[in-house]
Amino acid sequence: MQEPELHDLSDDSDYAASQLQQQQELKSMSRTDSGKKGGDNEPDGAEIVFVKDNVTIHPTQFASERISGRLRLIKHGALLFMTWIPYKEKTDCTAQSSSSNTKLSERDRNLYTIRAVPVTDIRSIRRHTPTFGWQYLIIVLSSGLAFPPLYFYNGGVREFLATLKQHVFLVRSADDANVFLVNDFQDPLQRSLSSLELPRAVSISNSSSTPTLASSAAQNDNSERTDDGSSSISQYGGRHGQKVHDPARDLSIQVLEKFSLVTKFARETTTHLLREIQNDGFLANDTKKQSQPLTNDNHETGLDDAQTVPNEISVTPDPLENTLCRKENHFKEAATRVGTFELVDSKEFDKLTLVWGQPRQPPLGSEEWATFLDAEGRILDSKSLRKRIFYGGLEHQIRNEVWKFLLGYHEYDSTYAEREYLASVKKADYETLKSQWQSISPAQARRFTKFRERKGLIEKDVVRTDRSASFYDGDDNPNVTLLRNILLTYSFYNFDLGYCQGMSDLLSPILFVMKDESESFWCFVSLMERLGPNFNRDQNGMHSQLFALSKLVELLDSPLHNYFRQNDCLNYFFCFRWVLIQFKREFDYEKMMRLWEVLWTHYLSEHFHLYVCVAILKKHRAKIMGEQMDFDTLLKFINELSGHIDLDVTLRDAEALCVCAGENGAACIPPGTPASLPIETELLYPLQDENDV
Amino acid sequence: MSYAYLFKYIIIGDTGVGKSCLLLQFTDKRFQPVHDLTIGVEFGARMITIDNKPIKLQIWDTAGQESFRSITRSYYRGAAGALLVYDITRRETFNHLASWLEDARQHANANMTIMLIGNKCDLAHRRAVSTEEGEQFAKEHGLIFMEASAKTAQNVEEAFISTAATIYKKIQDGVFDVSNESYGIKVGYGGIPGPSGGRDGSASQAGGCCS
Repeated sequence: MQEPELHDLSDDSDYAASQLQQQQELKSMSRTDSGKKGGDNEPDGAEIVFVKDNVTIHPTQFASERISGRLRLIKHGALLFMTWIPYKEKTDCTAQSSSSNTKLSERDRNLYTIRAVPVTDIRSIRRHTPTFGWQYLIIVLSSGLAFPPLYFYNGGVREFLATLKQHVFLVRSADDANVFLVNDFQDPLQRSLSSLELPRAVSISNSSSTPTLASSAAQNDNSERTDDGSSSISQYGGRHGQKVHDPARDLSIQVLEKFSLVTKFARETTTHLLREIQNDGFLANDTKKQSQPLTNDNHETGLDDAQTVPNEISVTPDPLENTLCRKENHFKEAATRVGTFELVDSKEFDKLTLVWGQPRQPPLGSEEWATFLDAEGRILDSKSLRKRIFYGGLEHQIRNEVWKFLLGYHEYDSTYAEREYLASVKKADYETLKSQWQSISPAQARRFTKFRERKGLIEKDVVRTDRSASFYDGDDNPNVTLLRNILLTYSFYNFDLGYCQGMSDLLSPILFVMKDESESFWCFVSLMERLGPNFNRDQNGMHSQLFALSKLVELLDSPLHNYFRQNDCLNYFFCFRWVLIQFKREFDYEKMMRLWEVLWTHYLSEHFHLYVCVAILKKHRAKIMGEQMDFDTLLKFINELSGHIDLDVTLRDAEALCVCAGENGAACIPPGTPASLPIETELLYPLQDENDV
Repeated sequence: MSYAYLFKYIIIGDTGVGKSCLLLQFTDKRFQPVHDLTIGVEFGARMITIDNKPIKLQIWDTAGQESFRSITRSYYRGAAGALLVYDITRRETFNHLASWLEDARQHANANMTIMLIGNKCDLAHRRAVSTEEGEQFAKEHGLIFMEASAKTAQNVEEAFISTAATIYKKIQDGVFDVSNESYGIKVGYGGIPGPSGGRDGSASQAGGCCS
C-alpha cells in the first residue's frame, strides 16, 4: 500500500481529534458546496474537502465492538486521498469499558485505520441502503483489497460520493446502480468510451460473448439520468433482468469484496454480510481488472509466450488466487508496519488455495437432529436443517432417517404417523412392482428380449458394484441380490429409462444406509427424479451438465476456460464420471456419503456438484496448464485424482465459488439441468431408443 | 522409464465381455473376477519390447454400455491400436461387432490397427461363437484375430504384443508420420527413433494398410 506524504497528518488520531472543531466547520461546507474552500491551513498544501464523523465499522456482530471514526477526503496537489481514523476508545465506549472480554483492544481498533489512500487506488464503491439501519459503503481497491463496510451513522453517503465525483471520474455501474466505479482516465478517447458505456466498451477485447460497442451503445439509449444529474452515469436494464456475462467483470468485485480487509474475528461477519449482498443480485464492473482477461486474449490470438518460448510455460494466474496473493502480501506488509497484530488465518493463505468457505462443522448427530423435530415429528425449519447438513453432513446412524427427507421421499412437514403410514403403503406398492418381473415365466422371458437383456445387464453389474465393501463382498451376498431386485424393479417402474450403468453405483450407498429393500427402492426413485437424465440414451442430461460446467469455469476461471478451449477440451468429458455418479468413484465410501448428503441439501444450489467440479479443477489448474495437458493427458490425470481429493477443502472451495458466482453462476445453468427436477413434459424420457436395453 | 515409442491402445466391445480383465491380466498378470464395472474410462500401461526396442503401451479401457457410446467415441482420437473384444459365450456380443467397428472406423484414424479378440475361450463348453466365425469376421474386415482368456491368460500377452508389432511394422514401412501424435504414437525421448521414412509417405498410404 502506498504511503503518501500526508502520512504524518492522517494516521494520527490525536492530531485528528485536536482538529475536530475546525473540521466540523468544514464538514458543513463540504456538504453543500464543492468543498474546495477551507482546509487552507493543512500542511504541505493539503486540503480537506470532505469530513464525516461517526462513520463506523462493525468488525463483529457485537454492538460493543463497533468502531466509530472520522472519514475524510483530503486533497493534496492533484491527488485526492481518503482516510478513516478511529476515535480513541475512551471517547467512544466508556460505558462498556468493564466488559473487556468483548471489547476490542486499542491495537485491534487501530488495525482498521485507513491511512491516506489515494482515491485513484479505489476501483469501486458500493452503496448499500438497507431497509433498516444505516447506509454503508464498501470500498474496493484496485490492489485487490476491500475495506470493511463503512456505516454512516450521521448520513453523508451522498455527499461523500458527490464530493468524490468532483475530483475523480466516477461512473455508475451499468449493471448495478449502487456500484460506482472510480477511474482516473488520462486518455480522452478512453474517457469518452467509458462515459458511453464503460464496462462494455472495455470488455469488448476480452470476451467473445460480449456485445459489440454498437449494440451496447444502442442499449444505452435506455440510460437514465441519475438523481444528481450527472451525464456520465448511465444505467440500463433491470438489476435482475438480462445480464451480459463477462466473467472477469462480473466476478471480480464480488471476489474482492469478499476479501475484505478484515481480521480473523471480523471475517465471519463480512462473509455473512457478503452473502446477503449476493442475494441482492450483485453485479459490478471494473476496469483495472481487465488486465487479467487481456492476457487471455494473447492466448487466443496465438501470441502467447507458450508458442514463442515453448519451454517456458507461464500459467495465467487464477483471478481469484491472484487476489488472494495480493491480500496476503498486504497483510504481511501491515504486520511489519503496525507491529504485532495477527494475520488473517495465515496458514490457510500459505497454500494460496481458495479456502474461504465456512469452516466445516462436525456432522449432525442424533441429539441435535431431535431438536429439528416437533412433538409429532415434523421438521419445522427445513432450511436450517439443510444448512446444518450442508456445513457438516450427518453422523452415520441418522443417515437412514434423514436421507429420506433430503432425497424427497419424505416431506419435511410430515408427522411420524404419516411417515409410518407412507412406508407401509410404499412397501405394498414396491411389492406390486416387483411382482411384475418376478411373475415373468421362463417361457415368457424367452419371448421378451428386452427383459432378458436388462436382467442380464443388471445381473452382470451388481456383482461388479462395490464388492470390496464388506456390505457387498463374498459369494452369494444377499445384499447383492437386493441391488439386483431393486434395479430390476426400477427398470419396470421406469421402463422408458430402464437400466443404465452407473445406476448401481447410485443405489449401492442408499441400500447400505437404508438396509431395507422397499425404502431403498423409493429413495432411489426419488434420487432418479433428479439424476435420471444422466442416463438418457442420448446423454442429453450429461451434456447439459457438462455444458453448464464449461460456462461456470468460463465465469470463475476464464484463463482455465481458454486453456480448455485451445486444447479442444471444452466437451468436459474428463469430468464425465464425476457428474454421472456424483463423485461416487472419487472418494472413499464415508466421504462419498458425506458429499452426497451435502449435495442433496440443495442449500446453496441444486447444482452444487458442478461447483465441486470447478473447485477440483481450479485446485489443479496450475498443473493442468503448466504441463500443457492435452485431452488424453487431462483425462488420465483427472481419473487418477480418484482417492486423492480432499473433501472438506473441496467443499469449502465450492461453497466460496458458488457464493462468488451468485446469480451469474445460476445463469450459467439452464433450467432443467440435472440435478434440478426435470421440467414437466409429457414424456419424461422421450428420446429413448427402441433398442435400448 | 524411457521408451522408443509410446502407443495408445483402446479396448472396446460390449459390456461384460472382459475388457477390464484383459487389461488387468496384461498389466498386472492377474485375473480379478470381482472388480467394479467401468464408468467412462480406465487406464493401464506396460512396457514391452519389439525389435529390441522398448515400447510403452498406454491402454484405455472403455465402458461398454451402449448409452456411453457418444463419450467413448471421444477416446478413439489418437489411438494407434484397438482391441475389439467379444465374449465367445454370448452371441450378441459378437453380433454387435459391426457397429463397434463402424464407430472405430469413423472416429479413429484410418491406420489404427485393430485386433479382434474372442474372450473367455476357457469357457469352451459354453461357446456360442465358433472360432471360424471369428476368423471369418476378422478376415472380412481386415482385423487381426485371436481367441483369448483373461482368466487363464491364454493369448493375452500375444494379443497386445502382436498388435504392437503390427503398429511397429507400419512405422517401419512409413505408414505413420510419427511426428504427428494424432496417430497415437509418440516417439520417446530415451529410445531410438525408428528408421521410419514416414514423414512424407503417410498420407498417400492412409487407409490401405489394414486391409
